[in-house]
Amino acid sequence: MDIAVPSLGEVDEVRLVRWLKRVGDEVDAGEAVAEVEADKAVFVIEAPAAGRIAETLVPEGGTVRPGEAIGRLEAL
Amino acid sequence: MREITHAALGRAPYGPVLEIQRRLHALRRAGHVPDILISVEHEPVITVGRLGSGEHILADPKVLSRMGVEVYRVERGGDVTYHGPGQLVLYPILDLREHGRDLKRYVASLEEVMLRTARHFGVEAHRRPGFPGVWLGLRKLGSVGVHVRGWVTMHGLALNVDLRPNLFSLIVPCGLHGVEAVSLTELAGRPVPLTEVREVALGFFAEVFGVRLVPLDREVLTEWTR
Repeated sequence: MDIAVPSLGEVDEVRLVRWLKRVGDEVDAGEAVAEVEADKAVFVIEAPAAGRIAETLVPEGGTVRPGEAIGRLEAL
Repeated sequence: MREITHAALGRAPYGPVLEIQRRLHALRRAGHVPDILISVEHEPVITVGRLGSGEHILADPKVLSRMGVEVYRVERGGDVTYHGPGQLVLYPILDLREHGRDLKRYVASLEEVMLRTARHFGVEAHRRPGFPGVWLGLRKLGSVGVHVRGWVTMHGLALNVDLRPNLFSLIVPCGLHGVEAVSLTELAGRPVPLTEVREVALGFFAEVFGVRLVPLDREVLTEWTR
């Protein structure tokens, strides 16, 4: 399952400020996994479901567009 | 018309108000409290946002400690900033799903509140593309720094009303070299009382967000943040 940046309105691009979880970490649904920033606003990305972080697709400092995945979650 | 509860905290140190914000933010996310707007004037403090590392604090930690200026690392966007007496700070704790669900428009709305407030006092400030806040050239009149989780906001805006002393000299504001902080009093050419600016800014906040502000009973706030 993708961990994606949701649509944030008129925001075209965000910067991934930091990962709060690492590959292999187990997370609950709704747990904070990363923070992205646009226009001096930090937006917390939450896990869409319970699972384990299988992969991170965007490094800290990297940019990503709303709707795109920043990582993948695998079922436990 | 939608109502927002306004908690006027007067003059208060940063730390306890940060704890109040965090508590109310968690309660708002859980749906236990309505939208809230906190207004406050802080004791001198330096805060570092998620894009800062502290390298833009110019003053020596010992000097800061002697001056009683604390440093906080916080969850908002942006780099380093200063809060202190003579600055109006607003912390909206809003569920943006009920206010347009748009991060960019939210930041623009906070800027709009400051632009209209400045204009009310005869000061034409402007936005600077790529550099959120309100500006006069390279001088910064007001700042924005926001944290959003589950579409609920915290942190917010700071408008320089009368910074004397101007302790922005302790930092590189926003981590941008060449930027200096300016206050409404300097620009208006007359002393502008913070209480007056607060009332005007609250009026424009209500106008920009299309809401009615309802005062929050202090006892209710105590109950919520216990």
